[in-house]
Amino acid sequence: METAAPLRRHRSFSFGRVWTIATGTLTQLVRMKVFAFMAIFAVVLIGASFAFADLKTEQELKMLKDVSFAAIQLFCMLFAIAGTAMLIPRDVEDRTLYTILCKPVSRLEYLLGKLGGMVLVLVISLGAMDLLFTGVLHLKQRTVVEQNVAELEYRPFRSQEEREKAVAEIIEVATQQGASWNLQAGMAAILAKSIVLTAVTLLVSTFATSTLFTIMVSLALMVIGHAQGLAREVLLDEADGAVLPRLVAGGVALLFPDFKTFDVLDAVITGTVVPGVEVLKMGGLCGIYCVLYMLAAWVLFADKEL
Amino acid sequence: MSTVAAVSVEQLTRVFRVPGLRRREFTAVSDVSVEVQPGEVYGLIGPNGSGKSTTMKVLLGLLRATSGKCAIFGRDSARVDSREEVGYLPENPYFYKHLTGAETLEFYGKLCGLRGRELRDRIGEMLALVDLEESRDRRLGGYSKGMLQRIGLAQAIIHRPRLVVLDEPTAGVDPLGSRQIRDLILELKRRGITVILSSHLLEQVQEVCDRIGIIFRGRMLREGSLAEITEVGNRSELVLEGMTPELMEEIRALAAARGAKWIHDGHPRTTLETLFLEVTSAAAEAARASGGKS
Repeated sequence: METAAPLRRHRSFSFGRVWTIATGTLTQLVRMKVFAFMAIFAVVLIGASFAFADLKTEQELKMLKDVSFAAIQLFCMLFAIAGTAMLIPRDVEDRTLYTILCKPVSRLEYLLGKLGGMVLVLVISLGAMDLLFTGVLHLKQRTVVEQNVAELEYRPFRSQEEREKAVAEIIEVATQQGASWNLQAGMAAILAKSIVLTAVTLLVSTFATSTLFTIMVSLALMVIGHAQGLAREVLLDEADGAVLPRLVAGGVALLFPDFKTFDVLDAVITGTVVPGVEVLKMGGLCGIYCVLYMLAAWVLFADKEL
Repeated sequence: MSTVAAVSVEQLTRVFRVPGLRRREFTAVSDVSVEVQPGEVYGLIGPNGSGKSTTMKVLLGLLRATSGKCAIFGRDSARVDSREEVGYLPENPYFYKHLTGAETLEFYGKLCGLRGRELRDRIGEMLALVDLEESRDRRLGGYSKGMLQRIGLAQAIIHRPRLVVLDEPTAGVDPLGSRQIRDLILELKRRGITVILSSHLLEQVQEVCDRIGIIFRGRMLREGSLAEITEVGNRSELVLEGMTPELMEEIRALAAARGAKWIHDGHPRTTLETLFLEVTSAAAEAARASGGKS
């Protein structure tokens, strides 16, 4: 006769359990067809690749990068909020959370699993958009070079050397503004921002009463996060050494993520090379924010009555 | 050698704050004590809102006790490790609709540390036990209420727990599904697994439980073995087969002569559930015999 299992040794933290919840979350979002939004991105990207044909080589590629990065960032950040906001409230409403937490799963493991699942979804969707974008930019770069070189046929050159110089200039500009590893710094910045926003949204959803509330608060935090650096500068300039404005500025900086620190997109779009150290700094900051927000989420969620 | 109780609830009280400006409170469970021995099937019965689910949630660590203690096989039930021993089926469970039956069991099995061949074998075994082998690759969104309860029961026992907690396991399930769940509970009992179930289907509780607690407005009113709490001490019953009117008269006369009061006589009745199952099983059998022709 089969009987119950003997006593098992329990590990207070298990990456296996976190991974199981993370992959479960990934499956959930994939089967909800969340990647359908990438079709909209593809339309935006292809549209943008034809839209600026009248501009100069440099501007044409810049505009394509500008529009594409803006679309990628918007999709990723909105997706980080909307996707994360429904995870915990839905599990609570459907009582699925009961069946998970009644297994030997700690609440921290559950939260980390949900974060991990969203990060997986973000990495996959950003990776796909990155591939598509880089591919289109590469093709555009080739087309633009070919077109511009062809146009040189109708320009008078004093010597072959001068013509070669003009061709080299076209190639140099296109290479600087075209597909390069530097674009990945921009992608890393978008990923880091989106992960921080996911952690913030997860924190909000631990005390929120509905998905709508979570989305609204997280959107507000996203706006504050983008504006707080500027507000801090203004506040500190006007404070002229006063203590209270400094304390307020410090408090806001501590409570809300400062997304300005992830702003390397302008540099990437203009073709300025972003040093690897900057990318590492963004990664480190993203990690620090995630740890802080997940700790806060854990403190709130640990005592949540289900 | 003393055995550790499978479940020990000592003077459990749980008070909820009512949301609002006034700081009002509501006592859901008050000073409840229960002890369930390993291998027992314990039924917690009471009307809706009597505190059954709250007691179970505290036992499972989903809610904190305001006062009192709960332990599972001697381990504080607020600790995560105590859940190694527990399987739980909540009332009206909704699992992830996007997962198939097999994927659902895989998900919960992995949460319990099962992997590889052991997990695969266990999934097959559980699907066979709850009679869902044919629906293993169907998404839960397409499952009926009874099927959801059965897959819920399968996920609750996938890791071979020593204690299974079932909250209204047959709520909203038709009599056939209800009977299947009852049989599964009896199977768990046969396997030596301790079961706590809450229900307001008293007949079913009576069929499967060894001991019963009656909870009302958060207080435990009566508790004990089925025989103890259902026995009417000053009355006796006699069921005979082949009774004749003459014999009946003789017994009546004897009873009157000895000073016993005749309360009732008549034919014993079957339950509606048994009758329903007999009729539908016979019809199904007849349909099978005639090769599915109606």
